[in-house]
Amino acid sequence: MDGAYRPGPFGRGLAWVTALYLVLPILIVVPVALTDQRFLSLPQDGISFRHFQTVLGSAEWLGSIWQSFTIALAATVLSVVAGTLCAIGCWRISRRATDLVRVLMLLPLIIPSIVYAIGLYRYFGPLGLLDRFLGVVIAHGVTGIPYVVITVSTALAAFDPRLEQAARGMGASLSQTLRWVILPRIAPGIFSGAIFAFIHSWDELVMVLFIASRDVFTLPRRIWDGINENLDPAMAAVAVLLILFTLLLLLADRALRRRTEGG
Amino acid sequence: MSDLGGHALALSGLTKRYGDFTAVDRVSLDVARGEFLTLLGPSGSGKTTILMAVAGFVAPSEGAILLDGRDITPLPPERRDFGMVFQGYALFPHMTVAENVAFPLRVRGLSRADRDAKVRAALDLVQLGFFADRLPKQLSGGQQQRVALARALVFEPNLLLLDEPLSALDKKLRAELQEELKALHRRVGRTFINVTHDQEEALSLSDRIAILNHGKLVQAGAPTDLYERPRTRFVADFLGKSNFLEGTVRAVVAGGFGLEAGGTQIVVALPPGIDAPSVGARSVVSLRPEKVALLLDGDVADNTVEGRIAGFAYLGAGFALRVDVPGLGEVRATLPAWKAPIAPAEGLTVRLGWAAEAAVPVEEDGR
Repeated sequence: MDGAYRPGPFGRGLAWVTALYLVLPILIVVPVALTDQRFLSLPQDGISFRHFQTVLGSAEWLGSIWQSFTIALAATVLSVVAGTLCAIGCWRISRRATDLVRVLMLLPLIIPSIVYAIGLYRYFGPLGLLDRFLGVVIAHGVTGIPYVVITVSTALAAFDPRLEQAARGMGASLSQTLRWVILPRIAPGIFSGAIFAFIHSWDELVMVLFIASRDVFTLPRRIWDGINENLDPAMAAVAVLLILFTLLLLLADRALRRRTEGG
Repeated sequence: MSDLGGHALALSGLTKRYGDFTAVDRVSLDVARGEFLTLLGPSGSGKTTILMAVAGFVAPSEGAILLDGRDITPLPPERRDFGMVFQGYALFPHMTVAENVAFPLRVRGLSRADRDAKVRAALDLVQLGFFADRLPKQLSGGQQQRVALARALVFEPNLLLLDEPLSALDKKLRAELQEELKALHRRVGRTFINVTHDQEEALSLSDRIAILNHGKLVQAGAPTDLYERPRTRFVADFLGKSNFLEGTVRAVVAGGFGLEAGGTQIVVALPPGIDAPSVGARSVVSLRPEKVALLLDGDVADNTVEGRIAGFAYLGAGFALRVDVPGLGEVRATLPAWKAPIAPAEGLTVRLGWAAEAAVPVEEDGR
């Protein structure tokens, strides 16, 4: 970027206003989480960490956090495997039909999740997947595929197809080529996709509202219920924890990208 | 496994069509054991497609590829056991030089100890032993090229395919690596098939050259045969430089004929094995510029013409003259610079001469 035009004061100001506009609503939960009151409010007489204590000492909250975490982990595995294979397959075959497949894979992103959720509800009932760990994992895993397809396809676009030819020409089978040549080159793309797929499942609410009720009670679901039933500031504390966790994942993604670009 | 001389390869009626476009048109060609064969042609001549078909990356539409008489056309690339050097080398950027070279051994399941020994030997062969732990991007173009060679040779393939192996290098390095490649071919004694559009590279490296144009094999033969006796106008033009003199055959005698081109009478000696044209037929002869001499007063030659120098270039080793000859058009001549009989100047009238054996009749290329 050295030697590029510097933004003028107007452009710079606009950028800051936009950034603040995006970040402020998120930041408001931080003081709310630190309130000393017993209801959702800004701190009155001082800040307090008691709502964090409530959350971290409550079996319900911890159970939901754990459930969300395991669901997100399993869903991520599903998304990564299916999405990576799909992207590699489309890349290798690379015909007009595969472009269609790639667009098709983006459908879960394009279709409103409430529409998708209604469909899932009708569909999961007869299959006995309602309110099941597996059901939520499948729902989240499938809708997480687009993120992986996008990031892996991007990584593959930068992959020199002659490397694959070279490997095959030297006697490598398809699986050897995949393991030793293609995967190491596109690993950063896969990790990026995995992080996005994880975040997607981690904070997904709409589908969970439809296909889970009692046994599966994810963190976003508990926050949602908390807001509806009582205005406990514990939710703000959870929200802060969520934000921190997501931020960590994004920073990990950034660090990974920087390392691969530098190396 | 490593029987002397490598594999013999035969292409039989090889054809590749992409929709309406015929990239390779019924090419039949034999490559002998231990031979260094170059497929030479302009871009789009089908030479790379042929190489890719031999490697197994392109499935021919028709025809067969025979390895020591065995049909290998349906085999996938990983089962053909050929070494290959790709255009731009295609080194694995995430592996060190040693890991790159070890790759073909790794896929063959060799033990680490065996691998290490062979990798060291292969790197020594291309004089890159010190660079084993570097990454490809830390090497120069010439070094990368040598890594690619080592990687292609490490598993002792009986056939090595080279896709424009030197095209990414600068001129001086290219000449250096040409010599190395030639020496390497002699040392390992295997069959090499090289693809290039660089006629100098083809002439200096090959035992035999196959010239391709528009997907068809135009002529194949030893470099000297092709250069001295091009069969068609395209071959004469593509391999080296050439003047073309067109005219009508006026007289045919034993071992030669007389051509009238633009009012000038030219005598042409026929090389053995080429039929004389009939009297009255149109004929084209190819005349290499270096076979045209600049004549001083009193010098004689089988053919002499007079013209004005339209332009010249000093090339260090020689002068390249363009001489306007009335009736014949522009005749190009190259003279050794250090003993040029005159100092060339534009507009100067000069006499050019050449021997009857200097010109060779060529066919027009039918499409």
